[in-house]
Amino acid sequence: MTSYSSRGFFNAAYHDSETLEMDRRSGTKPPHTNPYAREEPVRWGGRLGGRDEAAWGATDGGLQDESRRGRDHITTGAGAPPFPHQPYHNRFQADNRYNQRPQARLPSLVSDNMTMRLRGIAMRRMSMFPHASPADVDLTENAIREEMENDEQNLMKELVSMSTLEQTRAIRELTMSFEAKKRIRNKVLAFRSVKKSHEFTWFAELSENTSLFFRRCGYTMRSARQALELWHGIMKEIGGKFGSSVLTYFMFLKWLLLFNIFSFVVNFSFITVPLLVYDPNITSSVSFRGLELLTGAGYFTHTVMYYGAYSNETLKHGVEYNLQLAYFFTIAVYMVLCGIALIFSMASSFKKNFVLVDPASTSAWQLLCSWDFSVTSEKTVTQRKNNLRVQLKESLSEKAQQELLTVPEKLKHFGIHFCSWLVSTALVVGCAASIFFLCQYEGKLFSQWGPGAASLQQEAETLLVPFMVSLMNLVIPLFFSLFNKLEHYSNNRSQIYTLVVRNVFLRMSILGVLCYYWMNEVSLRSPSQCWESMVGQALYRLVIVDFFFQMLGSFFGEFLRNVIGTKLHRRLGPPEFDVARNVLDLIYAQTLAWIGIYFSPLLPSIQILKFFILFYLKKVSLTQNCQPPRRTGRAAQMQTIFIFLLFFPFFVGAISIVGYTSWSLNPSQNCGPFRGLNQAFSVVEIWIEGLHILPGSGWAVWIYKNIIRSEIFYFLITLIILGVTYVFYQLIQGRKELIGLLKQRIINEGKDKSFLLDKIQNLQSSRPKKDTRQSKDGRSSHQPSLGGHSDAVRQALLARQQAEQEEATYSDGVSVPADISTSSALMQAMLARQRAERETEDLYQRVEDPPSSFTALSLAMEARQRAEGEMLQDNSREGDFYENPTTASSAVSQAIQARLRAEEEASASSAMMQVMKARQQAEQEAGMQWTDVQLQNPAVSSSSAVAQAMQARLRAEEELPASSVMMQVMQARQQAEQEAGMEWAHVQPQNPAAAGSSALIQAMLARQQAQNEYDDGY
Amino acid sequence: MGNKQSIFTAQQLDAYQDCTYFTRKEILRLFYRYRDLAPQLVPLDYTKQPDVKLPYELIGSMPELKDNPFRQRIAEVFSEDGEGNMSLDDFLDMFSVLSEMAPRDLKAYYAFKIYDFNNDDFICKSDLEKTLNKLTRSELTEDEVKMVCEKVMDEADLDNDGRLSLEDFQHMIVRAPDFLSTFHIRI
Repeated sequence: MTSYSSRGFFNAAYHDSETLEMDRRSGTKPPHTNPYAREEPVRWGGRLGGRDEAAWGATDGGLQDESRRGRDHITTGAGAPPFPHQPYHNRFQADNRYNQRPQARLPSLVSDNMTMRLRGIAMRRMSMFPHASPADVDLTENAIREEMENDEQNLMKELVSMSTLEQTRAIRELTMSFEAKKRIRNKVLAFRSVKKSHEFTWFAELSENTSLFFRRCGYTMRSARQALELWHGIMKEIGGKFGSSVLTYFMFLKWLLLFNIFSFVVNFSFITVPLLVYDPNITSSVSFRGLELLTGAGYFTHTVMYYGAYSNETLKHGVEYNLQLAYFFTIAVYMVLCGIALIFSMASSFKKNFVLVDPASTSAWQLLCSWDFSVTSEKTVTQRKNNLRVQLKESLSEKAQQELLTVPEKLKHFGIHFCSWLVSTALVVGCAASIFFLCQYEGKLFSQWGPGAASLQQEAETLLVPFMVSLMNLVIPLFFSLFNKLEHYSNNRSQIYTLVVRNVFLRMSILGVLCYYWMNEVSLRSPSQCWESMVGQALYRLVIVDFFFQMLGSFFGEFLRNVIGTKLHRRLGPPEFDVARNVLDLIYAQTLAWIGIYFSPLLPSIQILKFFILFYLKKVSLTQNCQPPRRTGRAAQMQTIFIFLLFFPFFVGAISIVGYTSWSLNPSQNCGPFRGLNQAFSVVEIWIEGLHILPGSGWAVWIYKNIIRSEIFYFLITLIILGVTYVFYQLIQGRKELIGLLKQRIINEGKDKSFLLDKIQNLQSSRPKKDTRQSKDGRSSHQPSLGGHSDAVRQALLARQQAEQEEATYSDGVSVPADISTSSALMQAMLARQRAERETEDLYQRVEDPPSSFTALSLAMEARQRAEGEMLQDNSREGDFYENPTTASSAVSQAIQARLRAEEEASASSAMMQVMKARQQAEQEAGMQWTDVQLQNPAVSSSSAVAQAMQARLRAEEELPASSVMMQVMQARQQAEQEAGMEWAHVQPQNPAAAGSSALIQAMLARQQAQNEYDDGY
Repeated sequence: MGNKQSIFTAQQLDAYQDCTYFTRKEILRLFYRYRDLAPQLVPLDYTKQPDVKLPYELIGSMPELKDNPFRQRIAEVFSEDGEGNMSLDDFLDMFSVLSEMAPRDLKAYYAFKIYDFNNDDFICKSDLEKTLNKLTRSELTEDEVKMVCEKVMDEADLDNDGRLSLEDFQHMIVRAPDFLSTFHIRI
């Protein structure tokens, strides 16, 4: 009996431990009316047959299976398959019908369309209603539904309180099926219109209409923007074939193209168009010869292409238009806008891609995040699969390799790194120096020409410098990648970054040298020449030659490499598209355009043309020659790095050069918009002075004097910015610490959880051991809390044995049996045992169950005890007279019911409830059978009924999952009791009606024997 | 543009635009893509909301999904019935989530569901093994599969319960920014 009632606790613990997490979710398991019905034959077979472990295992598995299945139905998300328990499902649906709001177009509120979010909450709440007994199911179901309605209403409230834009965003972000989203949207709209109708009707209508109008306008704008989107189909094709890392290049190209289009539009409309309107006959003295397209000199020299052709006058066509100011402000505003756009995209990109990047989690990333869903070509898919496999294998072996690096090896690696850095720096310095001397040589050459048109050959000579520059840009990176191959890098990323840094270094130094030459030598030339136009021409040449070299680069780098790879050296295979190199080329080209914008305002038009052609060229070259990249680096991070590079050395460099030119250098005296001024910036000064005369413009003057021209202002601003930066830096440090702490906390909680699970499991497995040990060494148990109970049980058992022995001696010694004494002895024994059991329960409860369950259980125990007492009396009476067998059975069933009720209250988890339910059912069945049988033929079959009841009980007990030790004990006991029952049954028919006490004594003897066996079993 | 009125009502289009990340044009384009899968099944008039569902075989044969190792899971996750049979609404929803505009959390949620093969709301080892086998054509040895799965669990399982919950997964996604660009199907 001990284990009978304490099983419930075991169960709870078991369930908690194994399915602690799932439990919350599996709460809405449909009520199984008879979930174990299917298993019944098996169980009976197993029970009556071998009583083997397998039967236990089978039922155990069944239970888990069932729970998992239940969970599956619930969590399938948007497309949950219909519940297999149809009646339940139907009822659910039927209930939904009156949940519909009139405005809701779609049916079925809950089950299938239930949102995951709501569902998740419902799951969690479910665990609060563990009483899954038939009576409770309705309650629970209502509770869930209410819960969900509440949640939905909360959601609605949330949504309604938002602004229209936020609403749309929130609705889109709901993780639910489309139908549910639509329904919620309709509800929100309906609610809004209801709310509006309380206001003045005309106003409501108006605002409704305007909001609809604005929404539609927004959508139309988006449509229009999409229609303007360039190369959508090509992008998709490239992404599908080569994946997103290659696509990065094309996105970048497109982005730069947009920059240039903007700059061209601005420059053309604010600088060029007014000039053309004012003075449409700018004619060149030199005829067009064709070479100008390459050199930008000759015919182009005096066109609107360059700085020199622009006028410094003020147009007077009704309104005044100062060309000087227009030139200055257009370029300044464009540069500032570019800077802002770059900073914003860089910041957002950093925010997205670099905030929490954790380089450690490579495998998880490779497996779960790296698959490119946009890839659509079969070849690429198979190749990617192969690559991923290779990478995974590498990462597995890398981990093993890393620790094996010895000191000499490390030294060797370090030496190689050092050497390659040294060599590449030397190369860069050499290049820069040679470019500088080449420029000086060219300058001397030019100065000999004198003014006027140069010959074709002289003009062609100007291409020398850009040619050398582009050649260096093409060839030196090849050396860099050669070094890169020789070096040993621990990971792919640092390899790429080293390469990128060296290339940036090269390009920066070349550009730096060129700028130095322009600023310090060209600008100081004879004032007769327009030095800005000369710089503009030089930049034009660089842009054009760079374009040709990029084409050559894709011809050699991709086409020839492909021919070699596929025809000559098959081992090499087709080349990969080198994203880093190509993007750096783009950045370099864009920097040229930015520097050139001051000297040649229409340079962006050349740049647009260049990028446009480059896009198609690269696309064709890519699809014809290249294979998808073998290593899929972290494309998003690379993109961020590229934007950063574009901003930091290159754009900042360009803007400082333009700024330096306009602030500090003397503009040419004979040409250009700023002729006659000391600096280009003086134009603003003059303008401000002119403003003095105009009334109402004092604020502009004040701003100019106190902000733009005041050092103290910049000083203060710098201080403030530094201070703010420091504060933010400290904030970041604090956040980092916090993140670390929170991470630690998550880990700790995980540890706590696993520790608790272990503890529960230990407890659970130690408890049956206690049971087995209790008769042997109750005191010596490890856990003091459990020590007492085994002792109590032992005492009880001893008392009982004593009583039974007494009984036996009575029956032996005296021929006329003393009914009352035996039964009373037995009663005493039972009582003692019960007390012991209660103590046991008590202890168990104190170990882990809430007090309420204790009292409930003890109540149950009392009821049971009473019932058993009655039953015993009945039995004894039965033995004597066979008068009222029905009372006994009814008492039993009463007791069982009482106990069930109590246990129902006590039970903690729903799973346990189910088991209990099943058990109750079984027991009730048994009880009923007993009653039936006893009513029909009281004398003979009562014992068999007992056996049946025992079996039923066994069956019930079988359903309780427990540890194997416990099972063994139970089996032993059950065996004993069954035997007892059988013997009893065996005995009773032999002594029919009249034979009273002796039969009972015999039965008792048998029982005692069984009990002894049972005790031995411990 | 005139015939779009006959396919959807203005209200329907508004609803679609409010619930997805698509513009009118894209919705129509997607509708035609959907219809092209089975012109005889899908009517050209959606104003009466016909109850049409295309079977998974047709959905999975789209060029965008055809070679995707997860195509079946994608279809299952986004379909109302969980078996990959999709109505137009499901279809739009799927591409909306996979579009560029969808926010990270939404994408992460559905990616999680896609990787959760046994629908138990956790990515457990068996799910990881399935993912791995799908991604590597089952060419890794059993030991390697086991090692990789253990490593992934090691790295991503924050609370040490031996499986990845949605929170674990989202945490990983935050640290793997490429996910946004890779969990993306252009239409």
